[in-house]
Amino acid sequence: MTEKSATPVSAGHLLTVSDLTVRFRSHGEAVYAVNGVSFDLDAGETLGVAGESGCGKSVTNLAILGLLPQPAGRVEAGSVQLSGRELTTLREEELRKVRGSEIAMIFQDPMTSLNPVLRIEEQLIETIRAHRDVTVQAARERAIELLVAVGVANPESRLRSYPHEFSGGMRQRVMIAMALALEPRILIADEPTTALDVTIQAQVLDLLRRLTAERGTATILVTHDLGVLAGMADRINVMYAGKVIESGTTEELFAHPRHPYTVGLLRSIPRLDGEAGGKLVPIEGRPPDLVAEPVGCSFYARCAWRQERCALEAPALVQIDGGTQPIVTTGAGATHVAACFNPVAQAEVAEGRPAAGRR
Amino acid sequence: MIMRGALVDPVMASAPSGLWRDALRRLRRNRLAMIGVACMTLFFAAAILAPVIAPYASNDMSGPSLSGPSAAHLFGTDLLGRDVFSRVLYGAQISLFVGVFAVVLALIIGTTFGAIAGGYGGRVDGIIMRATDVLLSIPTILLAIGIVTWLGQGLPQLVLAIAVGYAPVFARLLRGSLLALREADYVIAARTIGGSNSRILMRHMLPNALTPLIVQATLVLATAIIDIAGLGFLGLGPADPRTPEWGTMLVDARRFMQTAPHIVFFIGGAIVISAIGFNLLGDGLRESLDPKLKR
Repeated sequence: MTEKSATPVSAGHLLTVSDLTVRFRSHGEAVYAVNGVSFDLDAGETLGVAGESGCGKSVTNLAILGLLPQPAGRVEAGSVQLSGRELTTLREEELRKVRGSEIAMIFQDPMTSLNPVLRIEEQLIETIRAHRDVTVQAARERAIELLVAVGVANPESRLRSYPHEFSGGMRQRVMIAMALALEPRILIADEPTTALDVTIQAQVLDLLRRLTAERGTATILVTHDLGVLAGMADRINVMYAGKVIESGTTEELFAHPRHPYTVGLLRSIPRLDGEAGGKLVPIEGRPPDLVAEPVGCSFYARCAWRQERCALEAPALVQIDGGTQPIVTTGAGATHVAACFNPVAQAEVAEGRPAAGRR
Repeated sequence: MIMRGALVDPVMASAPSGLWRDALRRLRRNRLAMIGVACMTLFFAAAILAPVIAPYASNDMSGPSLSGPSAAHLFGTDLLGRDVFSRVLYGAQISLFVGVFAVVLALIIGTTFGAIAGGYGGRVDGIIMRATDVLLSIPTILLAIGIVTWLGQGLPQLVLAIAVGYAPVFARLLRGSLLALREADYVIAARTIGGSNSRILMRHMLPNALTPLIVQATLVLATAIIDIAGLGFLGLGPADPRTPEWGTMLVDARRFMQTAPHIVFFIGGAIVISAIGFNLLGDGLRESLDPKLKR
């Protein structure tokens, strides 16, 4: 839709992240936060990113925007291309033009993401005027429009309120208004509803879905709530220890998870069709300490399907069933890929452990 | 305030509620702070209205030498027969003048360096902070004595001497708040919408780091008044010995403590009241402005 400047490098995708590697270095120690993450994103798509805390979801997003904490965080390898334009090597000044107007972000905690000493009005107008050469009056009208769009009642008087005069859900609406103020092509929503209660969650997600659909905004939705992803995402990347370990369309991934970690994730959430009183199954163990350089499959220690080679060799993200079709990375026909030498068979998914005789 | 842009001014003026209003309400309920306000009002009134209230000029030899309090001379007279009441009033003027200018200058120097250090970090931060460490390791009064001895006596020198002594306090305080704010969600959020570094520093970080500075400035003003008197007492006050500076007056009056103790009493009382006033107000402000101490 917005592919004006498509180049062969990005093969026409709106956003292409390839082999992104991020390290945090301090006091002679390194944290291997993101270890070769690749994915593509097209206009209008919603990509879900799932994974537990510390698996590199947020760091990936910050790296895309060039906002890694300085001086420790660095993109050490890989590239991020927005319509073929490389972002990782862009000068800070240029990057600033991208932030907000091309890629915007919504944070987890609306209670702390708005400046407490500035009125909503000042923050919205500032956002608009930072990128667009418009008068205060015009920016103000736009701000009112935005508040109407996100469903804030009495926008004109609410503009004059301070953040503390809003409820959590309302603040998240304001954050969404702010993020969409400049009609960005990509919206990164980093756990946008985690800090909200369930009924408000549904409203905010609904709003997010409606606004991004209306505007054709591509969305990266980060969450550890698989239920949210099931309802919102077209595709899902499952991340573990700084890597994408399984990726596919939402439907495919929920129906046929192949990576043991994905299977574990799905088994650890309650299901409506599960037996009453049935126990949730946690994934045993803890994620690896990312201070050590990863060797082999990072899920090895917790995996019931592990084999000897998993300890030594890191599996690549490949088509599981040995398909010969070229891999499609975006859209409804995206190929289901997983990084596993010994993927879970369909029959084993419900059991959550390898069938007898396998191992 | 410094960072308020033109576009928000009309809005700010019609605030229905807000941080400052809340803080003011809490301050009103604080009895000690209100005593502080009373002392301060007395001090400011004395300084500003001195030419109106004072019955005599500061160097007018209007009465007998070393007379006690009377209707003509409320606080009595000093060795040269000058009215102590008038001199205390004019002394307030000097303390206020030197104190306020010194604190404002210290604030300007301190916040500038503190903002650079806390806002940009890295090597600049290291250099500025080591410099403040060095300055802070020297007692303020000693530093002031050094500067006055070096630059010569006089009110501007006094202002500078005290400002240099307190600037590091403000620099360090601001830097600390800014460091904490650098990782604040709304600062990161401001970065994600493409705000420039200087804009984020001025608009998002500084206003949120101001309250501790205001409290500290009030407290430093109290100490500055004592320091001014201290320097005067040590003979490093204004160049003209006739200037009605409290410290200078005190050291003169001390010689007659046996025969005319009231002079020391009134001058000392003036110093104590103004210092305590600012201290109590500073503590009250801290309590009413610090959100952690709310309610």
